[in-house]
Amino acid sequence: MGATQRSRRWLVPVAAVAVVAGVGTLGPVVADASPKLPGISAQELLAKVQTAKVDGLSGTVQSSADLGLPALPGVAGGSDSPSGAVTELLSGKHTARVAFAAPDKARVSVLDTMAERVWTMDGKSAWAYDSAEREAVKLNLPAHQPGKPAAGTPKSYDPQSVAKQFLDAIDPSTKVDVSGTEKVAGRDAYKLRLIPRADQTTVGSVTLAVDSKTWVPLQVTVLPRTGKDPAVQVGFSQVSFDVPAASTFAFTPPKGVKVTEPKTPTTRPDRPAKPIDPKAVPGKPNLKAGNEPTVIGEGWSAVVLVRGAELTGANGPLDQLLAGAQQVQGSWGKGKIVTSKMVNVLLTDDGRVFAGLVTPQTLQDAAAKAPR
Amino acid sequence: MSPSSAVAEPVAPAARPGRYPLALFRSELQLVFGRARTWVLLAVLAGVPLLIGIAIKLSGSEGGGEGFIGQVAGNGLFLIVASLGLSLPFFLPTAVTVIAGESLAGESSLGTLRNLLTAPAGRSRLLAAKMVALIVFCLAATLTIWLSGLIVGFALFPVGDVLLLSGTTIPLGEGLLRALGIAVVIALSLLGLAGIGLFVSSLTSTPLAAMAATFGTFIVLGILTAIPQIDVIHPWLLMFRWTSFADLLRDPPYWGAIGKNLLLQAGYLTVFYAAAWARITSRDIV
Amino acid sequence: MTQTQQQPAAGSPLVTRGLTKRFRGGQVAVDSVDLEVPAGSVFGFLGPNGSGKTTTIRMLLGLIAPTAGEVQLLGEPMPKAQLRVLPRVGALVEGPAFYPFWSGQANLLRFDAADSTADPRTRKARAGEALERVGLSNAAGKKVRAYSLGMRQRLAIAVALMQRRELLVLDEPTNGLDPQGTREVRHLIQDLAGDGTTIFTSTHLLAEVEQVCTHAAVMSRGKLIRQSSVAELRAELRPRLVVRTPDLGIAAETLKSLGVTDLKTTDETVEGDAVELPIEKFAAALVAADVRIHGFGLERPSLEETFVALTGEGFDVAQ
Repeated sequence: MGATQRSRRWLVPVAAVAVVAGVGTLGPVVADASPKLPGISAQELLAKVQTAKVDGLSGTVQSSADLGLPALPGVAGGSDSPSGAVTELLSGKHTARVAFAAPDKARVSVLDTMAERVWTMDGKSAWAYDSAEREAVKLNLPAHQPGKPAAGTPKSYDPQSVAKQFLDAIDPSTKVDVSGTEKVAGRDAYKLRLIPRADQTTVGSVTLAVDSKTWVPLQVTVLPRTGKDPAVQVGFSQVSFDVPAASTFAFTPPKGVKVTEPKTPTTRPDRPAKPIDPKAVPGKPNLKAGNEPTVIGEGWSAVVLVRGAELTGANGPLDQLLAGAQQVQGSWGKGKIVTSKMVNVLLTDDGRVFAGLVTPQTLQDAAAKAPR
Repeated sequence: MSPSSAVAEPVAPAARPGRYPLALFRSELQLVFGRARTWVLLAVLAGVPLLIGIAIKLSGSEGGGEGFIGQVAGNGLFLIVASLGLSLPFFLPTAVTVIAGESLAGESSLGTLRNLLTAPAGRSRLLAAKMVALIVFCLAATLTIWLSGLIVGFALFPVGDVLLLSGTTIPLGEGLLRALGIAVVIALSLLGLAGIGLFVSSLTSTPLAAMAATFGTFIVLGILTAIPQIDVIHPWLLMFRWTSFADLLRDPPYWGAIGKNLLLQAGYLTVFYAAAWARITSRDIV
Repeated sequence: MTQTQQQPAAGSPLVTRGLTKRFRGGQVAVDSVDLEVPAGSVFGFLGPNGSGKTTTIRMLLGLIAPTAGEVQLLGEPMPKAQLRVLPRVGALVEGPAFYPFWSGQANLLRFDAADSTADPRTRKARAGEALERVGLSNAAGKKVRAYSLGMRQRLAIAVALMQRRELLVLDEPTNGLDPQGTREVRHLIQDLAGDGTTIFTSTHLLAEVEQVCTHAAVMSRGKLIRQSSVAELRAELRPRLVVRTPDLGIAAETLKSLGVTDLKTTDETVEGDAVELPIEKFAAALVAADVRIHGFGLERPSLEETFVALTGEGFDVAQ
């Protein structure tokens, strides 16, 4: 056995690396290959989507968000604080199980690492359960409001509602086309693409993957104007359109779990994730109660204004963030701009906060127009 | 050139190769489990539930605290899960590193590799026997914790129906079965590391160096997993989905992450086993 | 170098052709060695430490791959056919190697289990016989850690004796043994040879070759410099005339005048090549010259002296 013959054996592990890497990277691509579907116009597809109705569904949803927000060590991990929960859902990857049978029969379980958070409604009562704390919160649903989902259902895990939000925003400011087909959760889907016409926004496009049989949006992908990686992607990795059993939505508080039952159903701002909405961007600084946000502009270039934000104090990570922010000034005054891949925020020295999925210049223009 | 054509039949009838190919595998298990060192490792692992159990018992907390640890006082079965989970980041990898590092480098340093190869064991078969013994050890390690956790948990704490992460409750028997499933999943989670250890062990004749290098690799992978800036490569890192074992405690069990974890382990194992094979079959044994 | 090389005897159990090993540093440990071991022989593989004997043996057994050349064991190519061939070959390579934490018997069982042709049902019995044969029955259950070097050496031979072998390749089998043990091993080798097993044994001790071997080969600095039967080697040696006397000067002059060449004088002896015989002539001449003769005779040089002459270096010398 010669030396060359022996060194040829090393081709085996090299081939193994190639195969493993190939399966790991190309496997999902091959599985997601574009299926062949009859052609459809954007208008037809939109109509189908808006009239889509299913009796029930269940499945697994994967969400990943990379808004390019700077990592805030003190905030990102803490899901107890309101801002922490939002930041958490707007960054990183999450897996959730969803089930839906009626507007008041729904269940969402966020699969955290070695823990789980559950929201469920069985038509009579709503439960929120956190396995890490082993605490449950019970809300009695008002009987006369069957059609309205109770507060506490995180819409961000339901692609259908996320898609609707975007569809509502469609107006002449947006170019809509069918950009092809793809496989989502093993189902053939059309890709409905929304492209903002305005160049003030940082949103490059929003793509809905629409199921070719039920016309339910299966996946939402938001691409920034620059770069190829999605800023937000929420979609089913597995879905079934069978109506889930009623027991799916039931929740029996187990022994050893602390149950709290607020007298009046109040909205819990911390638990539900806010819908991903181009018009409303969660403000990162702590907001003082009573300062209702106002919206300047419309469509993609809308800017949210919040007054009286507290920017000083023992807010360590935020101070660090601001220290590195760009100083700007204009007719509106002076302030700092915090920029990221999609969300930009202008903090003026007189305590106003302008935020939006818009370019920094658009923020300054909005600030100039805004009332003091 | 070759005189073989003229060779008369040898005196003894030519032996038929491969009649008892499994004897080496059995012998390999005897080698791994016939050593005091292995039993010390298993005893340390068996001590994990004992230590945790006693600590919780002494602190006297009644079901407070987060996670599986916080549930031990209320249900002894969670001692199994908590012990398995707490052994995963350090104790189990250490044990696997010791056994894997020893496997080929140990034979090499004792010189017994020569005896085995002239026996002849066959290099590929010897490697396979080493790997099988490693897999059995991984299972033995996690099942030891399972058993010890079962005994200590039942001895020190009340036991009963098991509360799953999803907020539903299952009977004790099914809970024990799920805990057993977790033990098996964690054992399989260690196979990638075992493969790395086997390969490193094939490179050297010094078991300690093999163990140190394997453990060093493990530490580096752990550090890489903890750096958020390189999250692009995280799904490729050995320990990225190690915590997926807890998905067995959901209702119903969530197999997605467990499946990905096992695929990743299989990928690591394939690559490093192939590398170990290339090394051992081409190496000069001195 | 030898005549046998050109026409290999049919069925030679061990043949090499141009066997060469060059290590990574470029050092040539074995340089184009052509060995041919006759069936049934006890073949002494002789050479000083570091002459390439162990490297050659490793290549014979497929432990290391030759840089060039080929090996045939029992008529089959190595290492290609090693799984077929090696069960019929007993081997002891470079000192005894065992699991110190196991008993001698357990060690035997493990190495036997590694051979997929070995019947597990007779394993224990065969181990017992092998231990008996090397005289370790009493220490069978003792941990190898507690064995002396000599006991380990014998256990290593027991490994080779676990099955009936057609060829035994033994690397320094008497290394580390006391004189009694050495004698026992030599007897064992002769016993085995009597059963028809071909034995290829390396050694750096000439006495061993002279006592037990029928054939011998000599390695020096990686090259095979001589290979033939021991009898043949002996026959080639020319006797020397040795005179033991206090009158060294006169003796030397007398012998020189009688045509003795290559004269050497030591403290007590004068010796030289006595080309012309009979030797009585020399005795008479020495007596006539008033040389006091304490001893007188013809001495055949030992193999050792021959090999020193061949290799240009002494044995038992590490390079």
